[in-house]
Order: sequence, then C-alpha cells, then structure tokens
Amino acid sequence: MAVEVYEPFRAGLPPLGKYWRSLWARRSFIAEYARSELREKHYDSVFGQVWLVLNPLLLSGVYFLLIVIIGGHSDKMRYGHLTACLFLFYFVSNTMTGGVKSITKGGKLILNTAFPRIMLPISATVVGIFRFLPTIFVFFVIRTVLGFPIGWAILWGIPVAMITAILALGLAVLISTINVYFRDIASFLPYFSRTWLYLSPILYEASALKHNLRQMETFNPLFPLLNSWSRAVVHAEVPRASDLLISLAWALGIFIIGTYFFLTRERDFAVRV
Amino acid sequence: MPSESSSSHVPGEIAVSVQHLGLTYTTTIDRRPTLKARVRTMGRGTKHTRVVRALDDIMMDVPYGSVLGIVGANGAGKSTLMRVISGILPPSQGRVEVYGKVSTLLALGVGFSPTLSGRQNVELGGLAAGMSRKEIAEHFEEIADFAELGDAIEAPMRTYSSGMFARLGFAVAVTVRPDILIVDEALSTGDAHFKEKSLNKIKELRSDARALILVSHGLGTIRDVCNEVAWLDKGKLIKRGEPNEVVDAYEKFLKVGKSAAIDEDI
Repeated sequence: MAVEVYEPFRAGLPPLGKYWRSLWARRSFIAEYARSELREKHYDSVFGQVWLVLNPLLLSGVYFLLIVIIGGHSDKMRYGHLTACLFLFYFVSNTMTGGVKSITKGGKLILNTAFPRIMLPISATVVGIFRFLPTIFVFFVIRTVLGFPIGWAILWGIPVAMITAILALGLAVLISTINVYFRDIASFLPYFSRTWLYLSPILYEASALKHNLRQMETFNPLFPLLNSWSRAVVHAEVPRASDLLISLAWALGIFIIGTYFFLTRERDFAVRV
Repeated sequence: MPSESSSSHVPGEIAVSVQHLGLTYTTTIDRRPTLKARVRTMGRGTKHTRVVRALDDIMMDVPYGSVLGIVGANGAGKSTLMRVISGILPPSQGRVEVYGKVSTLLALGVGFSPTLSGRQNVELGGLAAGMSRKEIAEHFEEIADFAELGDAIEAPMRTYSSGMFARLGFAVAVTVRPDILIVDEALSTGDAHFKEKSLNKIKELRSDARALILVSHGLGTIRDVCNEVAWLDKGKLIKRGEPNEVVDAYEKFLKVGKSAAIDEDI
C-alpha cells in the first residue's frame, strides 16, 4: 500500500525526485487548465484568435508609422524585423502578465489540495505559447507576401523560440512567487514591460545603436535573443553562435533562479494566499 | 458497491500516524501585502509579518474502521493539522505517516475558479489532486447525482449558493472512495436533508473499514459518529479518548454546558 511520509524539508527544498514525479503525473492538469483559461477568454474561437493576432499587428503598424515619421525613411525589411520582434516580445510579456497572478488566484486549490504549485505558472506559460503560435503563422504570411529571403536558416527560429519559452517560464515562475509577497507587482508590470520593450532592439536594430548605448546588451537577455530571432526568421541567416549561447545562458539562469526561489517559498503559499 | 482503491483494510490497522508534529509559519499581518505599503512604512519599524506556532508536539494515530473527531475553539489548529495530514503544508518538526489515499473535503480544490462551471471545477480539481481523466469521468455521474445539483452543475460556480458549494465538495470527497477521508466543517452549510445523507455516507464509509477524521463544532454529531475524539487548543493536544468524556471536558472548558446551539450543527 502507498505510504506517504511528510517530514520537514531539508535546506528549505521539497524532495525533488518526488516533486518531479508528482508534477509529471499531473501533466494533464496543466493541459486542461491552460485549455480552460484559453476557452474562458474565447481564444479557442476563430474571432478570438483573430483578435489575438490583430492586436500586435496593429501595434506593429503604428510603430512602423512612427519609424517612418521620425527616421524619415524605411523599408520592408525594417517592417519585418519590427513585426517579428514585437511578436516574440509579446510572447514573453504576455506570459509574464498571465503568470504573475497564477499563485495568488489559485486560492482554494492551493488551500485544499496537495500538488506541485509550480504547475500554475507552467500552465500560464502554456497559455502564452498558445497565444504566440497564431502570430508566427501571421508573420509567415507577411514575409511571403513581402517576398523576404527564404532559406533553411529560417529553421533556426525554432531553437530561438524554445529558448524564449524557457526565459518566459523562468520569469513567470519568478514573478508569480514575488506577487505572493507583494501583491502590487502585478500593477507595476505594464510599466516594466513598456520600458523593456523600448530598451530592446525591436523598434531599432541592434547594429544601428551608438557604441555607448550598446552596453545595454550586457544587461538585457532580449538583445541576443531578438538578434538571433531577426536574423533567422526575417533575414533567413544563421544566428551568431555567441548570441544563441548567451541567450540560452540567460534563459537557463533565470529559470533556475526562479525555480529555486519558487520551491523554497512554496510551503508558504498555503498560509499566505 | 465497486471500489477500486484498496478497500480491504483490516480494522485497527494504522491509517494515519502523527508523531511529535510541530508547525510554525510566518504569515502576513496586512490583508493584502504590497510593495507600496512596505516602502511607505520604511524606517518606522512597522511589523508586516508574524510568526504563528500553529501546532506543537501533536501525537495521534488514526486506525482504519474508525472515526476520529477533532474539536477545539477557533484558531486551535484543527484545519492546519488536517492540511499537514493531507500533504498541503509540510511539517516544521516531527513526522506524519499516511497509509493510503487521502481525500480532503472541500477538497480537491473544488470551487477554486468561480468563473468555471461545477463540472470543470470538479475535473480540474480532480486532475490537480492526481486523479486521471478516466477516473474522473467514471465518477462524475455519481458525484453530480450525490450533490443533487441538477443542471446547475454546468453553471459557473459563482452562481452557487454556499449549500450547493458544500454539497459538491462533499460529493467529490466521498465519491472518489478515499482510504482516508478528512471532513473539515463543511457540512454545516448543507440543509437538514443533505446533512442526514452525508452522515449516513460517513457511517457507511466507517463500516467499510475506511478511516475518517471529522473536524466539527457540532458536538452532537461528534458524539454520535466518532469512536474517538481529540481536543486541540492553541496548537496543543489537550485531551484525547472516548467521545463523551472528551466532549464533556471540552464543553466544561467552553462553559457553555449542553445547549441546543452546539448540538445542532455538524
């Protein structure tokens, strides 16, 4: 017969093997929960999906207008870069917005059910992925219509998107924990996202920056990530290995720190939500 | 009655063993802790958290085929003890051994999402508790039947009355045929008919050699169905033993005597 033993945690962490097994056994919860969230916001219907795509598409139109007016000139590659990067940025930012309250709104589920709490921010990330996918489709329609270069190097977009997913998951896990302690983090998030958007090479290309401004690159994980993304899916060029490695290191770093923080704090959630 | 969980427990065999259990946690004083409040009160030495010693050196065993009642004033640590036994809160000291599948009432997180329907809440709550889709589908009819919700099962849970909430929670907890059932004061919101039905279900589970832990302020019910009663106060186990004896002592402590008010609810 099954024997469960509950003992104090060593080093503040739950037993990781057991945690992972119980997480894996509940993977259908993650799928079902993500699906019910998508259904609730009507993202499962055709018009819901159209809306998902329309919003960043209109934004990219507005920003393009801005670039033409301020910069005086522009071309279709610039528009391609802007749109592709904006879509990837919104993947990260939407996942953070969706994930920040994932623990605090878990209320009764957290109070009355024993399960690995990390399932909640993971579900939020899955929702983020499902919101991101239709925008990729739209981008590929755009790049076909505008006649961007085509080549196998476009496929480098897949590992870049996967690194982005790890980064988004790490951030969702991290801020969902912080939001348990400071409930107003969710209200600061839009300002943070907006700032991050302007500090990332989206409205401009990294190569166009002055030397002293390029220092930002060191502190912004989106720099190497967006560079690689733009090279692969817009220009059909192979991304630089250094960019890929640096962004992977950032993504894994944030994921590991976020998860560690989450796991050490998780026992608090049932008394704090 | 079909029963897929290992129902062949020998009465008297240990179901739950709580050994020197202690639990301390830090909780916030502010209802909604914010960064803004932290920054604004900086340097004033305002306390934002307090340490709660919720359980202190609790020892108890629950054998199969028995019902353990837990009584105690508000804040005695009853619900916290139940959360430790169901694995929701890890202990700070001591050890809890659970031999079998636990189901907590109000439990399975049913009702966590008010915008989703009763059905979706049951499904998601079940999945979160580690049940498979197949198990949930098998039990669903029975749950809906027992809860007597009719078509309301498809309505969002924010439209439910507290009685409907409680009925659905109880239905889920007992229908999944747990080895160990923890009922935490959830029956008090049901009407007389449902209370009767729930009590019968509890007695049925007891004779089916399952273990039950019943947390309640309804001392009449406690005397009626429990084999043993434990009295908690401020996180400490004050007394445990024969129901009438412990409940009498508890009533004396409360200085309420035997009145209708405490016998009524379960």
